[in-house]
Amino acid sequence: MIYLADTWLGDHILSIVIFLPIVGAAVLFSRTAWQPDAIRRFALGFSLLTLFFALLALVFYLAKAHEPGIAAGDWRLSEKADWLVGDAESVPLRIQYYIGVDGIGLPLMLLTALLTPLAIWGSFSGIQERHREYYALMLLLHGAMLGVFCARDLLLFYVFFEFTLIPLYFLIGIWGGSQRQKAADMFFIYTLSGSMLTFAGVLYLGWKASTIAFGEAGVREFTFDLDRLYLLAAQGHLSLDVQWWLFVAFFAGFAIKVPLFPLHTWLPLAHTEAPTAGSVILAAVLLKLGTYGFLRLSLPMLPLAAVELAPAIGWLSVAGIIYGALAAWVQSDVKKLVAYSSVSHLGFCLLGMFSLKLAGLTGSVLYMVNHGLSTGALFLIVGMIYERYHTREIDKLGGLARKMPVMAFFLVVFAFASVGLPGLNGFVSEFLVLLGTFTSSKMSNGFSGPLGIPFAAVAASGILLGAIYMLYMVASVLFGPVKEPEHGFDDSTGLTQDLTPREAGILAPLAIACLLLGVFPKPVINLMEPSLNTAVLARFAPAGSAMAGAAVPDEAFAVPTAPIGRTSHVLRNFGDDRGVLPGTKDDRLPRRATVPVLLTDSPAREDTGNPEAAMEVLR
Amino acid sequence: MDQHTLAILIPLLPLAGAVLVGLIGLPLLRSRSHWLVITPVAAALVLAWKLYQDVAATTTLACVAGKRMMFDSFRVYDWLLAESNTWLNVTFRVDPLTCIMLLAVLSVSLLVVIYSVGYMRDHHGHAERGYERFFACLGIFVFSMCTLVLAGNFLVLYAGWELVGLSSYLLIGFYYERPAAAAAAKKAFIVNRIGDFGFGLGILLIYFTFGTLEYSKVFQMIHAGATVGGGALEPARITTIALLLFCGAIGKSAQLPLHVWLPDAMEGPTPVSALIHAATMVTAGVYMVARCHVIFAASEYAMWIVATLGAATAFFAATIALTQFDMKRILAYSTLSQLGYMFLGLGVGAFDSAIFHLFTHAYFKALLFLGAGSVMHAMAGTIDIRRFGGLKRAMPITHGTFLIGGLALAGFPLLSGFWSKDEIIHAALESRMPWLAWVALLTAWLTAFYTFRMIFLAFYGKVKLPQGVEHAHESGAWMSAPLVLLSVGAIFAGYFGVAFHSGGAFGIFEPHGKLHELLGVLFAKPEKAVHGGLLGGHMLMYVSSAIAILGIFTAYFFYRRRPTIPMALALATGPVYRLLYNKYYVDEIYDLVFVRPLRKLGEICYDLDRYFINGILWIITLIPKSIGFGLRRWQQGAIQGYALGMVVGLLVVLWWMLVAA
Repeated sequence: MIYLADTWLGDHILSIVIFLPIVGAAVLFSRTAWQPDAIRRFALGFSLLTLFFALLALVFYLAKAHEPGIAAGDWRLSEKADWLVGDAESVPLRIQYYIGVDGIGLPLMLLTALLTPLAIWGSFSGIQERHREYYALMLLLHGAMLGVFCARDLLLFYVFFEFTLIPLYFLIGIWGGSQRQKAADMFFIYTLSGSMLTFAGVLYLGWKASTIAFGEAGVREFTFDLDRLYLLAAQGHLSLDVQWWLFVAFFAGFAIKVPLFPLHTWLPLAHTEAPTAGSVILAAVLLKLGTYGFLRLSLPMLPLAAVELAPAIGWLSVAGIIYGALAAWVQSDVKKLVAYSSVSHLGFCLLGMFSLKLAGLTGSVLYMVNHGLSTGALFLIVGMIYERYHTREIDKLGGLARKMPVMAFFLVVFAFASVGLPGLNGFVSEFLVLLGTFTSSKMSNGFSGPLGIPFAAVAASGILLGAIYMLYMVASVLFGPVKEPEHGFDDSTGLTQDLTPREAGILAPLAIACLLLGVFPKPVINLMEPSLNTAVLARFAPAGSAMAGAAVPDEAFAVPTAPIGRTSHVLRNFGDDRGVLPGTKDDRLPRRATVPVLLTDSPAREDTGNPEAAMEVLR
Repeated sequence: MDQHTLAILIPLLPLAGAVLVGLIGLPLLRSRSHWLVITPVAAALVLAWKLYQDVAATTTLACVAGKRMMFDSFRVYDWLLAESNTWLNVTFRVDPLTCIMLLAVLSVSLLVVIYSVGYMRDHHGHAERGYERFFACLGIFVFSMCTLVLAGNFLVLYAGWELVGLSSYLLIGFYYERPAAAAAAKKAFIVNRIGDFGFGLGILLIYFTFGTLEYSKVFQMIHAGATVGGGALEPARITTIALLLFCGAIGKSAQLPLHVWLPDAMEGPTPVSALIHAATMVTAGVYMVARCHVIFAASEYAMWIVATLGAATAFFAATIALTQFDMKRILAYSTLSQLGYMFLGLGVGAFDSAIFHLFTHAYFKALLFLGAGSVMHAMAGTIDIRRFGGLKRAMPITHGTFLIGGLALAGFPLLSGFWSKDEIIHAALESRMPWLAWVALLTAWLTAFYTFRMIFLAFYGKVKLPQGVEHAHESGAWMSAPLVLLSVGAIFAGYFGVAFHSGGAFGIFEPHGKLHELLGVLFAKPEKAVHGGLLGGHMLMYVSSAIAILGIFTAYFFYRRRPTIPMALALATGPVYRLLYNKYYVDEIYDLVFVRPLRKLGEICYDLDRYFINGILWIITLIPKSIGFGLRRWQQGAIQGYALGMVVGLLVVLWWMLVAA
């Protein structure tokens, strides 16, 4: 199969993965006469086909590793085409259809591709009306989510990012619980208002890119090409102040999406009211769009501000970990409990990310995947209970282990995965996050991260609180004397008392994935690590370190920045002399600010620090 | 097979058994499921014995040469990535300490698994509900415990540590339909997690300080006083690490103040109490401190805490055990107390003596628990010693073996418990904290008393049976055989750590035998701060023998000769008795001080969410709303108004174009 990687299929595999579900959605919308069974089968088939192509993409991705000129952390499977090209007087507009995956996007893409078919399969019994629209919207959502993880153009990213709102809005608003309208509105407006600010940041970056000539030809374009936008800060075109404001703009969109405390209040309502599959997708994938946005955009594009604001975000994350866990503990609705647990978990995810250490970043990306698996499964199980008893009240349920042993087995497995039991996936990511946070302030690769021991020490209480609320839920629902709601088990949906083979078949792959990722996460870590180094960490490594030299893209040339007024602790960490560029020690230029990013003095490159080129850009 | 293969196979065999039971136990095997666990555990025991002989052979050579040995761990596979190209691996380490622990764990496990075959059935021999689940969990436990013991670095230690917690949770909650069992399981896991919170931070701090989690590298760096950054190792840092690690031990080994979960854990089936909550898992804390002896020995303050806390728990738990009536709870408090002894030994630097006590305790305490289980089985689930008595004749094997276990626990001369406990007291006496030895001696008297109080009430006197039990009967062979084998262990296990020497105590015995010889390559000899004084030399052995016999006699006097005394005493010391009977109200205090406020805090958080944060959002949404409300006035729908607006607008535009521009 590997030889296919060099064929047309290999070149367009990502487009196929993204648009296959969307095509499926279009077909479904048009087939008004189909029976529910046919619709279900069709939707499941299309999502499974997408999973197949996503796996094929993984194979191609790995196969490409052996090609010459591809470094371990590079983007692969890229596709690039002009999308909107304008010919303005001075600055042409160039918005591209530019996609690709690296070791960060690929695991998340696979997570999406795995969970959506399961969520669709899980909806077979829960959804009893408007089948066609429901499954079409699910497929549409599927495509949009896949698009986010593949986008390499900021505007494309934003389009996919925002587009996910629309299907989910309808999924919650039409098939949701009793307060569905309120939940859908709140979800939509809350997240949209955040991402409006993000959009302002996106536009500013595009405009900023247009003011600077790129490449040898010196083109000025109004572009959202991420490759170029990364270089803005790297080459010092964004001062700390500008980065700070941009960071806040991006923060508004992503932090609400994550959701970071105290911007999380839309989540419990949206989760409780959403249909099961909606909750699953929301928790497993949509929240990750926020963390992925931070990782993909905020950190590498705005490194100075990221370091500056990391402690604040760190404390918010820690507060979220504790707050979410405590709030989860007092819930009377199982689904709400799981929803609040997401707030707690995602705090870990951001904490590890902003530790800016490889362990923390790896842990953070793994956390995204692991949380998707275990929390997605928990929502599925809650849905399965709900379909049988039409209640999610903890007080009304009890001793279900007796009635539903198979369900009990899976619930215990996923609860412990969520609690972070070694041997299951949650532990791996939680430990790495804590390790990264704990050692964040330590020097490695000449860079010391912004967080440190206090963050880790407080966050570690999350492992205790997590056990408290999760085991409370497990004990109340599964153990004790059998307690059912008055109407008891309801087989109106054609379900059996314990899980049907279909339901067990949905949960089993997730359980196996949890176990595999817990026992032997090495392949996945190996996939992520080089990309995290190249795409994120290298932006923070000071000039002169091996890492900074390794990650210099071709177009990069050293450009001195305007002096930065505010003293950030980055400056203190790097000292002045290390930040000054060799070869640009020029009297005409003001004292160089110390930017802990792609300032290159790699001996392998000859054009680095060319003063003429530098001055050219300055003009 | 070389050592590495053996070490990998030992935990994997029980795991494979457990997985198989999980897969085919319910549909195929049902009441034959136990074979899939007994066989691998037995095989693992054989392998462990082979491993032990292998290690013993090499260490004895080193021992003769008088050298300390360094044991390196070996990599099983890569697990986590810490920094570029630095993996935190799954590594195992094989040394005498590992081997001794493996032998203790696997031999007790095997006997308990065999016992369970008889115990987990009703009187007609039908397997209980969840029979296969029980054995699968036991298999997982044996796997986890072996992993914990074999671990070559702190990460794997932590993994094993948590996994035994999982098996403990699953097995305490085995009768999950009983609310008490479900609550006890939850409590055990959560209280353990409190300790693990510190333990985990300790491990992170180790990585932070030394840049590695491998035992041997960490220990070497501590010996050298180095850190990963190149700076010198500060005493405060090493003390912090030691105390954080000790938090884990406090949780797992149920020392003060985290002891509350262990008595409740007796809600689990009795074999589980014997194996996990007496013989093996709860001693993991002792093992861990002994394993990290380099860290602890480097901090005098930490050692002081370990020893003091150990002695305090030993005494405190023994006083509670005096007043309890539930046989299993008495034994549970006695376990706390004995674990306290072990920590006392660790804290005064007698690491080998602590491990020795761990070893002997595993046998006699497992024996006692299984004996209690046998009684409970015969009494149809009743375990309150007030409700039955005089079982001696009806249950001769149980009585005989229980008596042996009781004598060993009481420290009766020449039985296993006597040797190991004595060594600890001896070491304490010669340490800087000799007063702890006096606490330990007092506790020894209490131990002998409460043990024989239980024995006299249950087995002697008039025959008394609980309601619903027609006649007591001896348990079957599945249960009796392990009892007999364990009583052999309870008698002779002590001679593993005793040398024969003419002119020693009782004529020929001298402490510090084979076990100490093996462990000697790991541990430094404890320094002697003061001389034992009056109790120095062999004198202590005679004194503690006397104390044990005195304790037994006191119990005999109280419960056989003058049965009115206990009641009178309870009445006379009313408040004190109630304090002890209610276990110092620790559970109630925790509930009041920690659980309720935390729960309240959770409610406050949730209220904040609903009212405060959402309130602010509501206010924010008022802004566009009010703007819209303000603008609505202009949309009154009258055509004249719109016309006026148009004209005004047109005029403004015209003015701007003509004049302003």
